[in-house]
Amino acid sequence: MDFIDYYQLLGIDKSASQAEIKKAYRKMARKHHPDLHPNDADAQKRFQQLNEANEVLSDPKKRKKYDAHGKNWEQAEQYEQARQQQSRSQQSSRAGGFNGGEQYSGNFEDDTFSDFFEEMFGGRARSQGAHRSPQFKGQDVQARLQLNLTDVYKSQKQVVNVNGKKIRFSIPAGVENEQTIKIKGYGGDGVEGGPKGDLYITFHIHNNSAFKREKANLYKTIEVDLYTALLGGEITIDTMDGKVKLTLKPETQSGAQVKLKGKGFSKYKKEKEFGDLYITYQVKIPTHLTEKEKDLFKELQKLRS
Amino acid sequence: MEREYIEVKEICVVYQVEHHFIQQLRDSGLLELVLIEQKHYLPYQFIPRFEKLKRLHYELEINIEGLEAIENLLERVEKLQEQNRQLKNKLSIYE
Repeated sequence: MDFIDYYQLLGIDKSASQAEIKKAYRKMARKHHPDLHPNDADAQKRFQQLNEANEVLSDPKKRKKYDAHGKNWEQAEQYEQARQQQSRSQQSSRAGGFNGGEQYSGNFEDDTFSDFFEEMFGGRARSQGAHRSPQFKGQDVQARLQLNLTDVYKSQKQVVNVNGKKIRFSIPAGVENEQTIKIKGYGGDGVEGGPKGDLYITFHIHNNSAFKREKANLYKTIEVDLYTALLGGEITIDTMDGKVKLTLKPETQSGAQVKLKGKGFSKYKKEKEFGDLYITYQVKIPTHLTEKEKDLFKELQKLRS
Repeated sequence: MEREYIEVKEICVVYQVEHHFIQQLRDSGLLELVLIEQKHYLPYQFIPRFEKLKRLHYELEINIEGLEAIENLLERVEKLQEQNRQLKNKLSIYE
């Protein structure tokens, strides 16, 4: 895991006072607060790092350790572990490591802080009850869910596993590709007793159908044989909710479009309302004509000229 | 029947905010309150909005004028994000 320069993150000098750290943290938090960056995972990650930097630098004990080991913290950690092992074997008791002797909160997700932080200060190293830091809403969690277009034609319940928690929620029919929905209170735990973050699920909808989709409208191009196009007739086409019989007018042109009202896709959050289906006819010219067919077409040609 | 409103007094207790803060949000048009029998209520649908404004105000110390500016800009950002998403989906028809 990479070393994180908390001073650089907060834009302060190593000799910064507690007041300067607090001021810098406030300034950066204002810039990267998740509420100011809807649907921006990068800003949320950065905010998480800022919280982490503040957590370490605003605690004199943690700051001292961080300053002492700096970039060589990894080697220092190995040394510390070796020392602890020795101590364990001597005392046959639990070694506290960096956390020794302190009471730690168990309310935080393991992945709330970076690997660097976990490695250096322990997974549950955050102090409780000191109230040095202001309350902050928990980290918002971003998740992606891949679905087929045919899956979102009707509303459905889905269970997703986010950070080991099973969350059951409804996917409304008509949800769009790259659309994000928010599930309140299913994100990370709050900082210093702040409210829980939210879970944002972005849908990646794979079009597994023969239709093109634009919002609730669907588009499809249908090949029609020359004779049906010329003389008219009936064809059967597939729609999202079954087969439909269409009557073609005589002399239907290639590229002609018909609208089938209400045969499109489900409208988002509008129960039992549907868009339209647009069918474009593409007239298929016959190939491999027999001699007789050629003669007959020539006859037709003469009639037209 | 499900409750549709929460009384402002209750909000102050639950969220530990001053009544004055909610008044300021109402006066600036950031929050719409409903008056029922001489008591002010917040419709439940506006709770997420209130929570966001509360976080910005108390956590980041943004004053009411700042909240107004942020709300306007966030609305624009969300509109542009939505427009961008729709255009991307529209473009995929021609791909």
